[in-house]
Amino acid sequence: MKGGLAVALGAAAVAAAPLVASTYHALLMLPFMAYAVVLLGLNLLFGYTGLVSFGHALFIGLGAYTGAFLTTHAGVRSLEVILLAAAVLGALVAVPVAALCVRYVKIYFGMLTLAFGMVFYTFLLKFYRLTGGDEGTPFLRPSLLGRNLDAMPKIDYLVGPYYYYSLAVLVLAALGMWRIVHSPFGLCLKTIRDNPTKAETLGIGVARHRFYAFVISAAYAAVGGALLGPPTGNVDPTLAYWTHSGNIVFMTLLGGFSSFFGPVVGAFVFIYLQNWVMSVVPYWRLIFGAMLAVIVILAPDGLVGLATRRRPALAGRP
Amino acid sequence: MQKIFNLACGSFYALGAYVGVSAVGWYVGAGGPPALFIVPLALAGLAAGAVGVVVERGLLRFVYDRDETFQLLMTFAIVLMMEDAIRLTWGTAPRSTAGLYLTYGQLSFLGATAPVYNLIVIAASLAIALAIGWLLTRTAFGRIIRATADNREMAEALGVDMRRVYARVFTLGTALGTLGGALVIPATAAMSEMGVELIVEAFAVVVIGGLGSMRGAFVGALVVGVLRALAITVYPELEMLLIYLIVIAVLAARPRGLFGGAA
Amino acid sequence: MTHLSQATPDLLRPHGPRYNGPRYNKRQFLKLLGAGVGAAAATRLGTPPAHAQATGPVKIGVLTIRAGVAAPVGAAGLRATEWWAERVNNGGGILGRPVQLVVEEESNPKDTVERYRKLVLQDKVEVVLGGISTGVTLALGPVAEDLGTPWLSWDGTTQKGVEETMPNPKWAFKSVDNEVEAIVAGILTPKYFKGIKTVAGIGNDYSYGHDCWQSYQAVLKRYIPDVKFVLELFPKLGVTDFTSHIAAIRQSKADLLMCSFWSGDATIIMKQAAAVGLFKTMKGVFTTAGGVHDSLKKEFTPEGLLLGYNTMYFDDPKGSALLKQFVREYKAKYNEYPPYECDHAFFNAESYKVAVEKASGPAKKWPEKAPVVKALEGLELESLSGKRSWREDHVQMCNFYQGITTHKNAYDFVTINPIEVVSTKQAMKPAGSKLFEWIAGWKV
Repeated sequence: MKGGLAVALGAAAVAAAPLVASTYHALLMLPFMAYAVVLLGLNLLFGYTGLVSFGHALFIGLGAYTGAFLTTHAGVRSLEVILLAAAVLGALVAVPVAALCVRYVKIYFGMLTLAFGMVFYTFLLKFYRLTGGDEGTPFLRPSLLGRNLDAMPKIDYLVGPYYYYSLAVLVLAALGMWRIVHSPFGLCLKTIRDNPTKAETLGIGVARHRFYAFVISAAYAAVGGALLGPPTGNVDPTLAYWTHSGNIVFMTLLGGFSSFFGPVVGAFVFIYLQNWVMSVVPYWRLIFGAMLAVIVILAPDGLVGLATRRRPALAGRP
Repeated sequence: MQKIFNLACGSFYALGAYVGVSAVGWYVGAGGPPALFIVPLALAGLAAGAVGVVVERGLLRFVYDRDETFQLLMTFAIVLMMEDAIRLTWGTAPRSTAGLYLTYGQLSFLGATAPVYNLIVIAASLAIALAIGWLLTRTAFGRIIRATADNREMAEALGVDMRRVYARVFTLGTALGTLGGALVIPATAAMSEMGVELIVEAFAVVVIGGLGSMRGAFVGALVVGVLRALAITVYPELEMLLIYLIVIAVLAARPRGLFGGAA
Repeated sequence: MTHLSQATPDLLRPHGPRYNGPRYNKRQFLKLLGAGVGAAAATRLGTPPAHAQATGPVKIGVLTIRAGVAAPVGAAGLRATEWWAERVNNGGGILGRPVQLVVEEESNPKDTVERYRKLVLQDKVEVVLGGISTGVTLALGPVAEDLGTPWLSWDGTTQKGVEETMPNPKWAFKSVDNEVEAIVAGILTPKYFKGIKTVAGIGNDYSYGHDCWQSYQAVLKRYIPDVKFVLELFPKLGVTDFTSHIAAIRQSKADLLMCSFWSGDATIIMKQAAAVGLFKTMKGVFTTAGGVHDSLKKEFTPEGLLLGYNTMYFDDPKGSALLKQFVREYKAKYNEYPPYECDHAFFNAESYKVAVEKASGPAKKWPEKAPVVKALEGLELESLSGKRSWREDHVQMCNFYQGITTHKNAYDFVTINPIEVVSTKQAMKPAGSKLFEWIAGWKV
């Protein structure tokens, strides 16, 4: 199948990066892959259910801190356990949050999720005896598939086994999300997004479906967050700050929320662009803000939308 | 009224603060009598609201007919741009009006001492609140605003120019924000990233009070302010966490906020 | 010009963002990825050899904070480093090679670790200078060790961090322990303020604030065993209003207030305290407010407070000609008086230069990184504010300046007189010891 071939080639290109690209650029791929996982989840909520969360950094932070706690305080180094624990914890925490938030839409939803995100941030900062406060908690090198690789130099570990492990996680996450999105559940979500009243009359429980979408996206975000930890070696509260939530929404929009792989593209472009711009000019926030404004006005379907050359959503089109 | 939650309101507040400091600095440097410093301060704060026009005409109006989430994202873009714009113009060092705060002396009552300046600001906010209330209820413009808030299509059908109304309302809102920032600054200092920090508090106020209600905003601000002060004296650990928890509680129990209208 | 909006009632309009069916174009995605990989590959093909470069300019990486409350501190450090670089280049560079600064932003730990790696792996700098906030420096420590390039930190280490993440650093050089100024203040408090029975404390709600308070308490208890600590407040960094806090402090009726603020909030609390006359009845100890010293205007900053300037006091009458020149040129260029971060930065840069020269041996050949590190250990030199050195365990040794505020000067802000100069030999815990055990073991 043509589609499957293209995706496989894309994955192969990513897989080849550590071998052909410079060490630094290969290292940049690590947060890209972590964010790609997060965004696949976020887009279930954004693109497919129509809800924009401004607090998803909560779950990124949750996943990261789960991993840090497990490695530092519980002596658990297995990355499989860490990722599983992150997903489970993310989903558990999402249950009460989602239950409250999905009653609302749009602005209220955005604001409520922002509030929850900041509650978590404040908690991480204030309860420093537990979380390390602003200093954070170290995230020790996880063991992969049962193999402890502490002896390797960190860089070799990161662009070697850890890189391919992350890639595998991303591929699995993408496959999982693909199934979800193309299932009857996914179809219900799209219906709800386009016309909640009609969905309700068709017997699709609107709040219930949104709830599930939220919980799934939270689990994804937590897994991505856990993946963000090891390259830095430390997790800190800024991972949960509201501007971090804003950035991932930005990435999704940049790539294009209307397509499955759009957000992944968005993460890639954002990270590389930010890396380049930050070195060239100190006022990179100005440039990125302008970029976001331009995208919102001219290309709300993101890069992928531009590439497929359909007209972006114009004002007031029914 | 416009149903946008403006994430950049904190940034406008910050802008007013910085502009206020610069205006006062220029005023004092030009030899103006210190006792009147509040005049250039307030004027500068109001004038800074003009940036609202630029933002509204240049950016926001393109997204009015889009989904609200795009409007929210546009305001996030504005936050990013304004942060760096402020840094470009004023640098990163904190700016303040130094000791001018104390020019009006202090007042002691009931065992507490308060700087007269604080009382002036409180009086000014009350006056502004009353003025807005009068504007909304007694003037034609106010009626148009309320009509548009209730039912935009109807108002447009009746001949109201939506673009003009939006522009004016947004500018008014911005000017209030910049004025607020300017008035408060003599007591504190303008610091880098104050806009980003403020947004959380501002949003707590709006949620508690209810989106779209002026009375709600007033009450919400009062509630947040008093609770904050109380928390610090009684149980300092909880302070900021308390605000968020109240926000969540309010949204859970009474989603419209204390005075909010239809969502 | 009015125009009618669509007639479609709100409810029937699509509510979510627009969606028109699966629209990813795989070709586009692949192209993008290919471009990225290709670009990355191209940079790899041109990479210079891994060992130290011997010709061309010396690339020195600098990490500086550009946004947030600590931005002025970052700016001060960068300015001092630039001043140093200009001076060095005017003098012929290091071993004849001109200095080239490569500046990156220090923000949060995750992003700063990436910038650090970029400096070392991509820009191939010889050394990295900088690092201010605690969370960031704790994350950078292991990364520096891993990448095998010397890192000289300006600031940012606290007791816990030093013990946990950088026990025996080979490449990382840590700043002075940050609690030293609280310890010095604790030593000086009983000297200048008699009859203190109750103390209130206020500090920022993060590691530095908490560590300073704990250290101050521990030290004060050694000198005044039955002192009572009646109130502790930890507002978050970036708070701009302390009216309620000041009210609580007044209510506590403490004899003395200890405040470890170091940024704009020190100025604010001073102003707001003056507005209610707090220090008319209470003594004040500001351990680190010297960081914003030229904003502490005489109008609202009383005399008689104990004020700490960390490791550099710009107006030191015993200051060297170098300090005086630096202050003069800094003021001329930036219209501000330099804070302490400048000497952290200057010492780091200058010690690197001296170490390189020392390690180059009689042949004056550009040394590899490891011998430079060896040369740094134990190195002492005359910095802007007196002698500074690197202890064998890679911690900075220097002097701390604190004193009593006075209005008798030519500026519109306060300065200190008398000036106490306390060395880290006295006020910083020795290598390998634990802080509170060491304090408990003092002979008082």
